[in-house]
Amino acid sequence: MNATRARRLAPLLASLAALAVAVSCAAAPAVGDAGRLLDFSDAERQAILAHGPWPPPLVPDPSNRVSGNPEAAALGQRLFFDGRLSANGRVACVSCHAPPALFADRRKVSIGLSAVDRNAPSLVNVRFARWFGWDGGSDSLWAHSIRPLTDPREHGIALEQVATLLATDPDLSCRYQKVFGRDAAGVSTETASADAGKALAAFQETLVSIPTRFDAFRAALERGDGAAAARYPENAQRGLRMFVGKGNCSTCHVGPLFSNREFADTGIPFFLAPGIVDPGRYGGIVRVRQDAFNQLGRHNDDPVRAPGTATRHVDLQQKNFGEWKVPGLRNVALTAPYMHNGSLATLREVLGHYSELDEDRLHADGEKILRPLRLGEAEIGDLLAFLDTLTSPPPGLMMDLLPTARAREPCR
Amino acid sequence: MKRTALLLAAMAAAAGAPACELPPGGQQIANRDGTLALSYRPDPAPLAIDRPFSLLVHVCSRAPVESLTVDAHMPEHRHGMNYKPGIAPVGVGAWRASGLLLHMPGKWEFLFGVRVNGKTERLAHAVLVR
Repeated sequence: MNATRARRLAPLLASLAALAVAVSCAAAPAVGDAGRLLDFSDAERQAILAHGPWPPPLVPDPSNRVSGNPEAAALGQRLFFDGRLSANGRVACVSCHAPPALFADRRKVSIGLSAVDRNAPSLVNVRFARWFGWDGGSDSLWAHSIRPLTDPREHGIALEQVATLLATDPDLSCRYQKVFGRDAAGVSTETASADAGKALAAFQETLVSIPTRFDAFRAALERGDGAAAARYPENAQRGLRMFVGKGNCSTCHVGPLFSNREFADTGIPFFLAPGIVDPGRYGGIVRVRQDAFNQLGRHNDDPVRAPGTATRHVDLQQKNFGEWKVPGLRNVALTAPYMHNGSLATLREVLGHYSELDEDRLHADGEKILRPLRLGEAEIGDLLAFLDTLTSPPPGLMMDLLPTARAREPCR
Repeated sequence: MKRTALLLAAMAAAAGAPACELPPGGQQIANRDGTLALSYRPDPAPLAIDRPFSLLVHVCSRAPVESLTVDAHMPEHRHGMNYKPGIAPVGVGAWRASGLLLHMPGKWEFLFGVRVNGKTERLAHAVLVR
């Protein structure tokens, strides 16, 4: 490894090591009174079982021909940490999606070249999404990986800079040749950018969280092992019962990811300044339809465009104003602050928001079952205990999926 | 993710239906006077939340069917789907509605609009998707 390469890789390796430490520190078990299994009804059991198993099958993305390719993931990892993909040479994907923060940044709103309007979501488990970004403005992980590069507040470059870097950097061009079977200097800027996005996606697909205490409980419940299920803390069981019952949380936070992968208006203000709104999902649908890299375009590698079904049929509606993506809840205790604008600093504040929900802020055409939960202190404690059991134990990620060793080796 | 679709509702089954036979295996519904009946089945089956699917719809009517619309909504939540199905004929009296997605567990209602003799007959059928 030459000195330059070693210098570039040092933060990458340090970051991954820091992730393991961060998860290790944060994943201390909740105080719980394990030992008794609550008398869950059949309906409750069915609702609980719907949140697994974990992980779902790691199916390659058919729109990305290098999805699941370890060499592509290694190229993607190099690009993810490369500040040369920015106008000032210092902003990389990792700037807002840092490993110690579970590939988020712990800021209220993120700062690239300058501050943006939204909170950086964790990239762990991002491969399982249907729509990408808080507004779902991208319909694939690879298309979403291209978007920040040209945003003047994020990376602030023209896509020509991506193509030039891939064609001129000896290591990157060698990797590009190996992954895509052609010379980066011989493809168009648009194709080089799509390929860069696909390599970045291949890397991000390797960020998968490991099963949690909830998953162990769910598995025990599924196989009828009451003794093992009873080891799940009783306060977490009570919180889970509220999550799938009185709280109606699992109406949207459902499935193995604890998200229905769609959008909701939950009364979070979306004014950026007086008279200026962030249109949320409405803007996302408009954007994805216009995106040259969307699933209906020529860069989708699936010959029958099967992954384009959602894009083809998504319906632009007035209610989409003020809707934001329903985030998954795995490792939610580690990903503060919360909501699309990072306006709620703690999980307790999030529960407080739903407890005292301001119905006047909800869209007139929106969800009618959202009501203030009026939670008591004990109920909030139980819900927090449950949410804490969605934290993956150390090292947090399925480390064997990561391409770090391959990314470290020079390309020949 | 396995889901069970429990049939809740709605209108009478195809007894006394008009002059053709609906294919077996689908859910059958009919209008009140028995002049029109349809069957539908999801593809893939069974219905599950958070998974795009098509509905294969067969219609039996005493007069030619001019057009068909298909939609779904959650009556208690008072909202529909986030997706607009595309409808394409797939044979005589048969259509495929594609691009549907039920994004929440709970009670959904399929809504069919069958246009015959210049008038639209509306049929609904409720399902519980968990």
